[in-house]
Amino acid sequence: MMKVAIIGCGKIADEHASALVKIPDCTLEAVCDSEELMAKQLAERYGVGAYFDDVQTMLKTVRPDVVHITTPPQTHFLLATMALDDGAHVFVEKPFTVTTEEAVSLIEKAKAKGLKLTVGHNNQFSHEAVEMRELVKNGFLGGPPVHMECHFPYNIKDVYGQAFLGDKNHWVRSLPGKLLHNVISHGICKIAEYLGDPDPDIEAVGYSSPFLRESGHDDIIDELRVIITTRDRATSAYFTFSSQISPGMFRFRLYGPENSIVIDHGQRLLLKFRQTDSLKSFLNYFVAPRRLSKQFILNSRRNMRRFWKGQFHVDHGRRQLFREFYRAIGENQDPPIPYDEIVLTSRIMDKIFSRISADTR
Amino acid sequence: MNPSLLPIGKQDPLLVTGAGGFIGRRVVARLIEEGFVNIRCFVRSSGDLSGAERLAEERGAKLQVIRGNLLSTEDCRKAVEGVPVIFHLAAGKAYKSIPEAFLHSVVTTRNLMDAALENGKLRRFVNVSSFAVYSNRQMRSGAIFDESCPMDEKPELRGDAYAYAKTKQDEIVMDYGKNRGLPYVVLRPGVVYGPGSSGVHGRIGIDTFGPFLHMGGSNFIPMNYVDNCADAIVLAGLVDGIDGEVFNVVDDDLPRSRQFLRMYKKNVEDFKSYPVPKMASRLFCILWEKYSQRTDGQLPLVFNYGRWSVDWKGNRYSNGKLKSALGWEPRVPFKDAAARYFEYCRSLEGRQ
Repeated sequence: MMKVAIIGCGKIADEHASALVKIPDCTLEAVCDSEELMAKQLAERYGVGAYFDDVQTMLKTVRPDVVHITTPPQTHFLLATMALDDGAHVFVEKPFTVTTEEAVSLIEKAKAKGLKLTVGHNNQFSHEAVEMRELVKNGFLGGPPVHMECHFPYNIKDVYGQAFLGDKNHWVRSLPGKLLHNVISHGICKIAEYLGDPDPDIEAVGYSSPFLRESGHDDIIDELRVIITTRDRATSAYFTFSSQISPGMFRFRLYGPENSIVIDHGQRLLLKFRQTDSLKSFLNYFVAPRRLSKQFILNSRRNMRRFWKGQFHVDHGRRQLFREFYRAIGENQDPPIPYDEIVLTSRIMDKIFSRISADTR
Repeated sequence: MNPSLLPIGKQDPLLVTGAGGFIGRRVVARLIEEGFVNIRCFVRSSGDLSGAERLAEERGAKLQVIRGNLLSTEDCRKAVEGVPVIFHLAAGKAYKSIPEAFLHSVVTTRNLMDAALENGKLRRFVNVSSFAVYSNRQMRSGAIFDESCPMDEKPELRGDAYAYAKTKQDEIVMDYGKNRGLPYVVLRPGVVYGPGSSGVHGRIGIDTFGPFLHMGGSNFIPMNYVDNCADAIVLAGLVDGIDGEVFNVVDDDLPRSRQFLRMYKKNVEDFKSYPVPKMASRLFCILWEKYSQRTDGQLPLVFNYGRWSVDWKGNRYSNGKLKSALGWEPRVPFKDAAARYFEYCRSLEGRQ
């Protein structure tokens, strides 16, 4: 039975705790937060035996096998280092670290100690993302990706957006990429998975939306457009982050030399576009949409089937990522998210923030 | 009756947290009307205090606006300095997750209480709570719902972050009262409404599934007009001899669910609604809860027996304790209150 501890008892810790109780052969032994009341409320609700307000004390007392870090990103590197030094496998919430140097350093340490590390890129384990991965692995694209497009929406008017906008001392503001730093890794990691270049070229434009400018928050960038190109100019990608496009669509398009795939995380659907779907005659305009509509219906049926089987939780991706991570620990396999992908995600983000801050200056 | 008042001078500084909010700004205005001239308004960021500022200017009162965060012990210390009465209205109502609602309700309250006790001038801590902390699971439909109703022992099972946070907030306030001598009073308003709020409350019906489902048509709705609520809060801060007491705040002449809905449709916006029999809504909530538990939350626990009991079982509500101990009377009767509310809602709808 693996002993698990959570450091940081805010909103995301709840998601971890509720997913952890369903992982076989592990038990949530302790929770820790610098604010003791926060640690206590989580411990009480999930029946956790011990709660702490000091990480070192928790590590020394509980000796956890796995530590989940769900604190603000600025603390990830330090806390993950402490946990690794204490001999624990570590699950770090996104963004993995603040800089690529920190990410590389953590991974090197984990490798040296024979421990596993992963990051909370849970959308990578949604039904549609896993299905896309399988299709690519089986050669559906007909070769390496030619181009990718990722649209990542953000609702800045909701309670979380308003919380950090209203608080000049909010921790999000002290990240190098501020708001973008805290959220875009969910979209960037999708591109990183299929890019195939550890150090691609990046062009980025970031600016404050009219909404933020008019409300006096022009220090926050909430609109971002990025062009990513591999150095051999074989693959490119567009990344769009917007707080203003409505309805917000979290979509990822993967274009291959023969076929293409589109997934939508908001609607949980996957569409396949085959070269052979196109008809040469005028009939193409009548038949192709019908074929496409059939795919939508199949997606709907598949989602209903998953719901019926109880495999359609809101946080299905996170649960699946947890299962894969704990399986990797138990069977001493590679962790579910390749380290190269984690580092590349971080590197792309570093370059984006560097470009934007150069523009701002 | 005229209850005796705490020995507080009109020049003494009074602190109102959440002063820019829906109820808070009315409390500030009411304190100015009562003749207090030194009011400290703690606001998070935005929050419209223009009405209170105008009134303060007219009456020669001083509003000191402190923009800060109750999570900061430093901000709390600054806010409570020299203050004998704290009206604590700030809460994490907008947060939908339990940890966030807890952080912005319980941790903030703890910080404020610590600072106030450290300051040493405190005579009264008015903790503004909510009906959401109660559990009426064991009560029969139609029974009187008053201060003797127990607090929910398992608020986490209600699927309502606000209910959980407010329950824990009340617990910590009472604990400070018992163990650290905090002179507190807890006020639990029902459904507070008035200009500044809008729509039809969830106790009357829901449109979660598209069409508006009208629940429990014959139920009384524990409504509390915002100005009446502010009056009760101010009295709770000033009346002597009520330390450690809890008061429910509801108006007289409470409307039944179908009466309010009919009035709303007539005065604000007409729409189709579908009445749901009480037994059907009860069965639906029980089945939803069981399914949610069986599938480990595939459907979130937003409908459950606890919520059904509180929102749709149907009780009668008492304000007797508030009237007898504080001498409170609802200044604005339901008829006038509803008219003002509907007028405001119409202005939002852009209608005559």
